[in-house]
Amino acid sequence: MRKFTYLVPKTLDEAISLHEARGERAKYIAGGTDVLVKIKEGKLAPDYLISLKHILSQDRPFLNNETGELYVGAFMTHRSIEKSPLVQLHYPILHDAVKNIGSVQIRNVATIGGNLVNAVPSADGAIPLIALDGKAHIYSAKGERTMELLRFFLGPGQCDLGRGEILTEVVIPPQRPRTGSAYMKHGRREAMELPMLGVGVLLSLEEDLNTCAQARICLGVAAPTPFRALMAEKFLVGKAINAENLAEAGRIAGDESRVRDSIRGVAWYRREMVGVLVKRMGLKALERAENKAEGGRLTV
Amino acid sequence: MQALCSVGKRIPKIDAVDKATGRAQYIQDLKLPGMLYGKILYSKYPHARIVHIDTSRAKQLPGVRAVLTGADIPEIKMGVYKDNRPLKVGKVRSYRDEVAAVAATAPHIAREALNLVEVTYEALPGIFDPEQAMQAGAPLVHEEHKTNVLKMPWKLHYGDVEAARKEAAFIVADRFTTTWVTHCCMGTSGAIAEFDPANNLTVYSNTQIPSLAQKDFLEALKAMGVQDRRVRVIKPCIGGGFGSKLDTYAYEYIAILLAYHTRRPVKVEFDRTEEFSATSTRQPTITYISQGCDKDGKLLFRDVSMILDNGAYTSWGATTPSVMMMPITSLYRVPNVRYEAKCVYTNNTYAQAMRGYGNPQATYAIESTMDMLAEAAGIDPIEFRRINANKAGDVSIQGLRITTCGLEECMAVVKDQLAWDRPKEANEGVGMASLIHVGGGARVYKSDGCGTIIKMDDFGKVDLFTGATDMGQGSDTVIAQIVAEELGLHIEDVHVIHTDTDVCPWDVGAHASRTTFVAGNAALGAAKKIKARLLELGAKQLESPLEKLILQDRQIRHREDAEKRIEIGKLLRKTHFSHAGQMLMAEYFYDPTNENMGRDFRGNMSMTYTFGTHGVRVKVDDETGKVRILNYVAAHDVGKAINPMLLEGQVYGGVMMGIGYALSEQVILEKGENMNPNFRDYKILTAKDVVPIAAPVLETYDKDGPFGAKGIGEPGCVPTAPAVANAIYDAVGVRIKDLPVTPERVLAAIRAKKGLDLCGRELSQDHPDECVIQQ
Repeated sequence: MRKFTYLVPKTLDEAISLHEARGERAKYIAGGTDVLVKIKEGKLAPDYLISLKHILSQDRPFLNNETGELYVGAFMTHRSIEKSPLVQLHYPILHDAVKNIGSVQIRNVATIGGNLVNAVPSADGAIPLIALDGKAHIYSAKGERTMELLRFFLGPGQCDLGRGEILTEVVIPPQRPRTGSAYMKHGRREAMELPMLGVGVLLSLEEDLNTCAQARICLGVAAPTPFRALMAEKFLVGKAINAENLAEAGRIAGDESRVRDSIRGVAWYRREMVGVLVKRMGLKALERAENKAEGGRLTV
Repeated sequence: MQALCSVGKRIPKIDAVDKATGRAQYIQDLKLPGMLYGKILYSKYPHARIVHIDTSRAKQLPGVRAVLTGADIPEIKMGVYKDNRPLKVGKVRSYRDEVAAVAATAPHIAREALNLVEVTYEALPGIFDPEQAMQAGAPLVHEEHKTNVLKMPWKLHYGDVEAARKEAAFIVADRFTTTWVTHCCMGTSGAIAEFDPANNLTVYSNTQIPSLAQKDFLEALKAMGVQDRRVRVIKPCIGGGFGSKLDTYAYEYIAILLAYHTRRPVKVEFDRTEEFSATSTRQPTITYISQGCDKDGKLLFRDVSMILDNGAYTSWGATTPSVMMMPITSLYRVPNVRYEAKCVYTNNTYAQAMRGYGNPQATYAIESTMDMLAEAAGIDPIEFRRINANKAGDVSIQGLRITTCGLEECMAVVKDQLAWDRPKEANEGVGMASLIHVGGGARVYKSDGCGTIIKMDDFGKVDLFTGATDMGQGSDTVIAQIVAEELGLHIEDVHVIHTDTDVCPWDVGAHASRTTFVAGNAALGAAKKIKARLLELGAKQLESPLEKLILQDRQIRHREDAEKRIEIGKLLRKTHFSHAGQMLMAEYFYDPTNENMGRDFRGNMSMTYTFGTHGVRVKVDDETGKVRILNYVAAHDVGKAINPMLLEGQVYGGVMMGIGYALSEQVILEKGENMNPNFRDYKILTAKDVVPIAAPVLETYDKDGPFGAKGIGEPGCVPTAPAVANAIYDAVGVRIKDLPVTPERVLAAIRAKKGLDLCGRELSQDHPDECVIQQ
């Protein structure tokens, strides 16, 4: 493996200035489960690795009690998110996703921010955070900027990060009352698996606990980037949430997806599974919304 | 008979702690003084002429000690058919073809040097489908061979199949295919070669065939003009074999050639990508099979014809039909059998031995059609198998002498433990499949033997030198148990040495589930000689008749007189340190009386046969096509379980390997190129995928086995795929005839059965391609 110098800044500003001084010869690294693999495969050959692991930040998701926003720090490991009672209780879609990434060993070191900036179509972490309407916070020498996480992904392996910019956190706005959500990775085995397809569904219900007030359907590996099936979402709003309507939403979402053949799965099957899993995740989201019917703004 | 103290006990593997704590030394851990690192340049094309190779830039790179191409080396012929060479000359025939090799002072320098080797190719049309390769005008993989079909004689016809076909009340016929899967050893391949100043060669290699490898390397030396020198093969710890190390390979010869040219030890060690793309796979097959029975369900004939994708070269994969013959002729009683197999060259990777050695492929076709035939005849599938079950005392039509046979009992146990008749939920199903496999050696070579030397020290301990190879399966432990049992010692008193051809006797190799049986019998034979001597010495020392004495708990004891006893160590010292002293040593070479197959392939190739039945309960998701295994029962007639814990390990591992074969694993080749040379995309099952497995053991005490044991190394993965496929049929009514049984295949079959296209729409004659997705 090619040799590199490993730099360990303690603050964001220090990391950015280290990067600025070295330009393209430097690469940020957090957990390293993608970066090091790419270096070993010869796809990356940086002279400097700037570690973001030792920058002082929150080590688990936390709720801003004044705004109701959930802060998911980019340098948090998947395991710390998986183990967060807050996430388990109130953001099950995120829990569904992070708990099945790689293996425990990988989740102990791999960070959610790394999963996002790696920007592969199969990023499990991105789908629930988009379904939750997350905003990406990006820091650079010029200061901080914020954007919708959905818009962050530009293409396979490409995200909206300028040179030296660091994704620092994803902020999730308060959820509507009577909201339920669920994610499923469709793969061939139970661990060490990239999804053949990732499907996240978030549903907010009217007071009757039946009519759809809002729907977000987010798909991974169904297009070059994670995307929302807007036509399917639109179809659901105002309708009763039941298997029949969810199946139709799934069919619409399948038509919206731009699936392709690859060694990991064939297009027709992926598209069919969009239909099946949108329905199933929708039913699971409905069940979760009903269970949590008191809903409303969270305080922890 | 004395109660058993070591044999039959659940004793952890004697190297378990070393392996779990990282102390065990694998080829990856070995480093010799002055050692260089060898790397191999592989072909960029599946089929191409080598126009020119320029190594000058590579040779100039500081740290590079040698760069070799096919032009630099003598003609060393490798493989079963001698159609392969360590470095290719003239043309390449697959992506894994070795084109050049480098030795350098560090691995990264060697790798860099590979980038500096400039090869000019002239691409040739490739052939990747064996059925197309058989047609006239297909590109020839080996021009001098004149045809792509190997001249191998796999053809037998016992009885009269055509006459039986006319008599049959029920007949089924179908086509089944299996694809490439690979062994996935945790330890990747590797070898170190070293010449001493007199040109004697030592090769450190994680081989399963030390004695045969020694012979292969001697022949290579001869080709290199190095006459009358010794070859020593040393095995480090082996991180799994499963058949993959049953041949000698280009990388081993390349290490030897580089060491010879540089006069330094050279190590060639595969990374995981190479392990996937440059080692051999299980033999892929296309099988046409028909079977027929009379109105009462008695099998009348079995007619099988196969096409094997041989790949570009020939290793043991091409000889798997010799083992496939066993289930084809002898799994259940069949009076008329015809079988033919054609091995066909293609520009794909070439196949090797892999656990089961063709038996899983053949059993998939046989046991799938057994279920189909039972259904056609309107007989319950278990009853249908029972009607046709082999029995002890049978001599099969191929001449296999069934000495002990627990097949019916295995089926009964599976039926019981799987709760076969329990009411099922929707889309739930049960399936079973049985197996026959060699369990008492396999006479593939002229010798099926194994030697053992026992040397007793002054303290009552044993040094045991065996030809056997422990590659993780636990043969050291089993051999130690057998010897400890016979000599009344504890297992920790027996030190098993299997690592070095300079000191260990000959053995044909760790294959054919033969090690417990053959090496066990060899060790037992040597131990019996030592025992006789100990009893003789003890009788003199204790002034007792020999027949009154027993060996137990490190002592020689009088059966009736508790006062009369002596520590074995003490007795040995007395014998050694006396006038005209003696030390106890014994050797034994066990070669079973099994038979080589004759010209018509008849012959009792094994002393005994292992039988088993696997049953599985599945639930099929009819919307996604996913198959979930709810419960798995794998019952085997093992003769006698020498170590039930290790035996269960063999069965669990075999079953998981078999489930991977059934459901998820495949080496994806696109025009000969390996598209998934990594564990991310090669879907070997993980610890989290392990299903509930019960491994009931039936003991039939085979008279020829050590303490009654039969071999059980391979059977665990033999009938898994058909058991799963049969269960899927029971659950949702679709029969999948191609492995692996992916969710895509299941869903497509479910939809086809309902008259729907892939996208779930009514099949329309006007728009057959309606649901094809435009890219």
